[in-house]
Amino acid sequence: MTAPKTVLVTLNVQGVGPEAATQPETALHGRDAHGRYAYGGGLARVLDMLRRQGIRATLFWPVFEAERCRDLLEQSLRDGHEAASQGNAFEDLSTLGDREGEVLERARDRLAQLTGAAPQGFRYTSSAFSARTVPLLRQLGYRYDSSAIDDDAPYALDLDGGAGMVELPWSEGLCDATHFSRRVTQDRAYAHWVEQGDALLAAEGYACLTLHPRADNGVGRAARLQKVEQLLERFRAAGATFTTCGDLAAHALQRE
Amino acid sequence: MQRIPYGAAVRADDNPWLPLDRELRAQGLRAASAAPVRAVVCVTVHVDGPAVEVGRKQFPAGPYTAGRYAIRRGVPRHLEILARHRMAATFFACGYDVEHYPAPFHAILAAGHEIAAHGYLHEAWDLGDEEPSLLAKTHRIIQQELGVTPVGWCSPSGRKSHRTLPALRELGYCYDASEKDQDRPYLADGDAGFIMLPNNTVSLDDYPFYFSGHSLAAEAYDNWVQEFEALRQAEGYVHLTVHPKAAGGSGTPARAAALDRFLGHVAAQPDVHVMTLEALARHCLAHPDHWRRA
Repeated sequence: MTAPKTVLVTLNVQGVGPEAATQPETALHGRDAHGRYAYGGGLARVLDMLRRQGIRATLFWPVFEAERCRDLLEQSLRDGHEAASQGNAFEDLSTLGDREGEVLERARDRLAQLTGAAPQGFRYTSSAFSARTVPLLRQLGYRYDSSAIDDDAPYALDLDGGAGMVELPWSEGLCDATHFSRRVTQDRAYAHWVEQGDALLAAEGYACLTLHPRADNGVGRAARLQKVEQLLERFRAAGATFTTCGDLAAHALQRE
Repeated sequence: MQRIPYGAAVRADDNPWLPLDRELRAQGLRAASAAPVRAVVCVTVHVDGPAVEVGRKQFPAGPYTAGRYAIRRGVPRHLEILARHRMAATFFACGYDVEHYPAPFHAILAAGHEIAAHGYLHEAWDLGDEEPSLLAKTHRIIQQELGVTPVGWCSPSGRKSHRTLPALRELGYCYDASEKDQDRPYLADGDAGFIMLPNNTVSLDDYPFYFSGHSLAAEAYDNWVQEFEALRQAEGYVHLTVHPKAAGGSGTPARAAALDRFLGHVAAQPDVHVMTLEALARHCLAHPDHWRRA
């Protein structure tokens, strides 16, 4: 009997949002519009892949992207995926000052309106947190955060001002953008994922895979999704089970 | 064109290239016994000669001669490879290179390839109000030096502005190869006379793998084959970009050999048609309803 192994498949839904945070969307062309690939087939293709694999994933939605992908947001819910929050529109939380609470609240409320349920989880990788971020997330009713990279397993957020919340750390080595932003080949990216993923599962039985639907830093392209499928099948063959962040957080909180 | 789901077999009737297949047969360009065209491959060569260094205000001699490598070695090598595989390609030319080094461009045309426009000094910066006049300048240089009229453009470095498409339309261009947002051609908004032929400057390109990813040529080759095979199961639009320059490009022997092997792989597939971007643009614009945005 081996220890249980749990894999979270998470998707940071990013189209042109990161670029549109600093430039008008209508000024985004060519190299500044790589993100449009997410709308031009990338996101739909990732959902196709997850359906093929029979995996329920957690999609972290900035409101900016949820508004642009309403059909695919609904499709993802029909497919059984979790919709969690990734803030509003790629703002830098650490510079919002007194507006931070209002921005986070607006983001939560709008996503809840679009999905029909308040999001249980939050992730933000576009900027630093402020000292207020975790306490604000707690006030807004979040049960988990998944922005940190400081552990190999979930842990309680009490010391960060998030009493009753759990952190589900992601792993930068088990993330597509880490490797593809360096323009490595997909075989190299795959080799990195295997190295990181196998060792994480052996250490604490927990691995968080993070994907993006773009073509530049993400896995929206069919050739790359084939590599992701190979990775998921490898984890499955090693005895891992797949769960959503929401379900794992609920399970972790129950045990406490 | 309907979205093609990932991972599902495409029914023969949904193959987006059947109209092209019929056209090629009607013109006697495809043998009666040949398999139906399932994928189109466009080979684009970004010549990027000394224009790149001059554009960066580097004097193109001594160490700043990666672009000169394209003129001296890379272009002849790529022409030889393309001729051996009997493939017509699209060569993107900077106006400065055509002006100062016309010979390789005459050789490109003599070999039956297309010349398209690629900026004057491979401008990798925002051109502001100067942009339309620079596009016109390179256009005139290609016409005057080479006696051909380009109909396509690819942004050097991928930068574009709201001025770009109107200026290209004014010059009579019918395609832009600078967007990266779809795996298929699509009509520019509200314009049945202009087609976007997206490129893939991430994983069907040499420069990112070699310059940023520090890949071996064998690794780049493997990735190109994986992209080609995945696209062939889906949209079937394969837009390859290579650079005949040194330092990051595919001009040098080891990397030109990887290009050669990849084109050999493509040439060996019975259901593939290799064509220039101009030929593809003309095909798409003859059937505009097939290429509207989904």
